[in-house]
Amino acid sequence: MNRIILRFLLTATSLLAVILIGLSIGPVPISLLEMSATDKEILFNLRLPRVLSAFLVGGGLALAGSIFQGLFRNPIADSYLLGVSSGASLGAAAAIVFKLASPLASFAAVSVFAFVGSLGALALVFYFGHRAGGFSIFRLLLSGLGVGLFLSSLVAIFMLMAGEELKALIFFFLGGFASSSWDTTWVSIACIPLAVLIACYFAPELNVLLLGEETAASSGVRTRQIQLLYAILAALLTSISVSVAGLIGFVGLIVPHMIRLTFGADHRTLFPLTFFSGGIFLVLCDAAARTFMAPAELPVGIVTSLVGVPIFLYLIRNEIGDLG
Amino acid sequence: MTSTSALEVQNVSFGYNGGLLLKDISFSIAPGELIALIGPNGSGKTTLLKILLGLLSPNSGGVMLHGQSLSSYQPKTRAKTIAYVSQQPALSFPLTVRELVSLGRYPHGGRGRESTSDKLAVSNALERTAANDLSDRRFNTLSGGEKQKVLIARALAQSARVLLLDEPTLHLDLNFQLQILSALRRLCVDEGITVITVLHDVNLVSLFADQALLLSGGALRGFGPVSEVINGASIKELLDVEMTAITGNDSTTRYFVPRNPFDAKPGRR
Repeated sequence: MNRIILRFLLTATSLLAVILIGLSIGPVPISLLEMSATDKEILFNLRLPRVLSAFLVGGGLALAGSIFQGLFRNPIADSYLLGVSSGASLGAAAAIVFKLASPLASFAAVSVFAFVGSLGALALVFYFGHRAGGFSIFRLLLSGLGVGLFLSSLVAIFMLMAGEELKALIFFFLGGFASSSWDTTWVSIACIPLAVLIACYFAPELNVLLLGEETAASSGVRTRQIQLLYAILAALLTSISVSVAGLIGFVGLIVPHMIRLTFGADHRTLFPLTFFSGGIFLVLCDAAARTFMAPAELPVGIVTSLVGVPIFLYLIRNEIGDLG
Repeated sequence: MTSTSALEVQNVSFGYNGGLLLKDISFSIAPGELIALIGPNGSGKTTLLKILLGLLSPNSGGVMLHGQSLSSYQPKTRAKTIAYVSQQPALSFPLTVRELVSLGRYPHGGRGRESTSDKLAVSNALERTAANDLSDRRFNTLSGGEKQKVLIARALAQSARVLLLDEPTLHLDLNFQLQILSALRRLCVDEGITVITVLHDVNLVSLFADQALLLSGGALRGFGPVSEVINGASIKELLDVEMTAITGNDSTTRYFVPRNPFDAKPGRR
């Protein structure tokens, strides 16, 4: 019990510290103790939504990664490698180019189209990656690669067709949190915590599924329903993240892996810890993206790749055992 | 038949798209027996196991589990009655042995912390398969034989009275094969648990099993006490292998020695 309290306190303290770091970084120096009206405006309408978005997107991507890894019983699956992120970008791009989103609350509508795109991509990867015996890592990742490349080509065609929407599209694909506002944050606030709670609630079922579909079904798990539920949750988390911040790789790969190495593979602890750590990680990456070349900003996806790829390669070389 | 049978299969047929994988199979298994399921590859053994587990529904016929139709069980209730040990899964995640075995408590459990009875059932299961000293090791660092003990312990943690196993001795050295089958034998004799297991080695069948179920081409070729159903002729018919039966010094145990189908004997050129 003490270990649980300790973990909780540790997570809460790091979260608070990281949020304060995130809030204090920016072109205008702000002292949290003496704030002018402009300072308050900057803090609450620019920096707070930015930090919250980065936290929720980071947590969402990390959780989506650990869901895919559990679902496919495979430690190197994530939304990016599986092509699901590309599906989400295709959906979002379609919404922007064909102005499908403009009459409604535009950001929410883009998210909906991204969600449809990521579900479609996931269905394709499922179709090509599945065989009677389950998912082999090579078939799965190659299907993800193929589907991802194909959908990215479609995105490129959309860009050529974009015309006057091209600027909006480029702005969208540059990604990052520079354009985060309360308008883009509220969708994440509404959906991501809910998805986290649902994922944690059904963690015991996913634990049993690690032993294979037949063993899980013979233990009383309704395997089809659970797999479908988690596929939808992971697609939802991916599509919201892509809608808010574009393509950000490796968060979903390295964060769950580090947590698993440290705290074990039980999804009941893995999911909440992965969510909070992913959030903290991306807030820090965003802070770095704003600081390195200030006043210019690096796209945050470049920072996560610079940090993530070496860790990923290290894990492939040393930690991930039999890749099957 | 009466409800005294642990498992009763009545005229079960199963197939996809017109082709039948199982043809009109009927048998009844008494509680506390060790049943060996024997047959060549592709004879329908795994399909039969899945039907007995309720994971596949037969096209016709039915299965009674403890006198009640298998299809009428809720998944969790069924799991408390019949448990399954599949062929070894590839586990890429660092689960400890104790964590893995406690997954067997799923049908009993709530979602919170493990209850005292869960912990007790897990320790008991580890003890009964002599896997106690492995409990803090990570599953994917174990040897094949150790893994098999742990997987059986997981199924035992379900506290089911019927246990189904798909080739539990696959890829194990002879010592572990005997350990695993002795553990299963003890479950039958000491606890009255019914064990149905796919086995390929007719010598192990004759050493450990009470009854044998012979399956080929999706049809039942024989079912009864091992001493009656397993003999040179039935093995030849089932597996297309010539075997000579030799009676051991205790004048009851029979050993089967395969005949070399080639003319060239080792040592002679």
